[in-house]
Amino acid sequence: MSKGVLVFARNNSQVDYVKQAYFLAKRVEKYLKLPVSLVTDNLDYIKSNYKDYKKVFDKVITTEYTTAFTLKRYNDGSLSGKQLEFKNDTRPMAYELTPYDETLLLDSDIVIADTTFLECFNQQSDFLIYRSAYDLANFRDYSEFVHISDTSVPFYWATCVFFRKTPENKIFFDLIQHIKENWQHYNSVFQLNRTVYRNDHAFSIAIHIMNGRQEGSFAGKMPGKLFYTTDKDILCDVQGESFLFLVEKENHLGEYTPIRFKDNTVHVMNKFSLNRFIDKELAND
Amino acid sequence: MDERLEKALDFSNFMVTLNNQKRVLFEQYQQNLVHYHKGGQFSVTQELISFCQSLVALEQETVVLTDDNKQPIEIDPLEDFLSDILNVYAEASNKYLSEFNKIKKNRSVEGIVEYE
Repeated sequence: MSKGVLVFARNNSQVDYVKQAYFLAKRVEKYLKLPVSLVTDNLDYIKSNYKDYKKVFDKVITTEYTTAFTLKRYNDGSLSGKQLEFKNDTRPMAYELTPYDETLLLDSDIVIADTTFLECFNQQSDFLIYRSAYDLANFRDYSEFVHISDTSVPFYWATCVFFRKTPENKIFFDLIQHIKENWQHYNSVFQLNRTVYRNDHAFSIAIHIMNGRQEGSFAGKMPGKLFYTTDKDILCDVQGESFLFLVEKENHLGEYTPIRFKDNTVHVMNKFSLNRFIDKELAND
Repeated sequence: MDERLEKALDFSNFMVTLNNQKRVLFEQYQQNLVHYHKGGQFSVTQELISFCQSLVALEQETVVLTDDNKQPIEIDPLEDFLSDILNVYAEASNKYLSEFNKIKKNRSVEGIVEYE
């Protein structure tokens, strides 16, 4: 059975997701020794900016360039942020697009620093996802990560997902596609009160439906913990497996506390600070 | 600013950093205590070690254990599993101790987060 990592990267006017995917692929090679396939809508950009892309990526899968996007606030620390376009509507196609029998689907802003993800491939469950995650700041309001709304179903993180090509998973991903196409309806039925489509919510709703609209075992737990920092925190430095973050300080807007974090993979939601670091890294290469 | 207040605020920042670092270290320790075996995920606890040790003492060679995800996993041979979880426990605990001691000795924010 073929194994690999699938990552989606579609740039907007200010955030270079392809750069993050390139950095992720290099770290996957270092820690997981797995091939990485990239799904993007702009092959020309990769060809002109990443000359060794064929070496770094196992396959580059192109999707149609569309102008459809949702608007999302991207923070860069607790005092600065921008409203930018966000193209997240191709992720439901992961099942169709992946070239692998066993796929680890990762967000481009995951920074790999250990081998825990390799355990996915040994698990019995054909579909794995995180239901909870650990915020390095540990004081913020996490209710939005427990249920998709106050009166709705459990929240799952679409950030890291493992799946095998099985008929059940085909049904699951087709269902997500259906949910995406009928977002207004599901948004209303599941009382989200948000007009913006979000993959975490679509995955959560689909898991709920697959489980017979109750708690169930369709989704297994991803191995290990998903550690994360939000876009209100700042990534300062990465040296191998050692990260230095400035995390938002409780009740002190604009102030931060430094945290040293070592030997575990982390989800870095502040795209600007991640890209600044990657720029430094690539300049040193 | 009053010098006494300034010193107190500096110390307060130091304590926030120290406590955060201790909290993160403990979370990582728990992550490092996980042992993966035959598709199962086991958090290695003193209770799990003692239970396996008791079974080995009773000359049991296999056992079915329920993992963290409530899956039954057949453990065979039990003695090897016990040896593995003892290693996981020792390695994770030693690492935790060493990292904990490092931050405990430091008296500055820069020292705690190893920032030069």
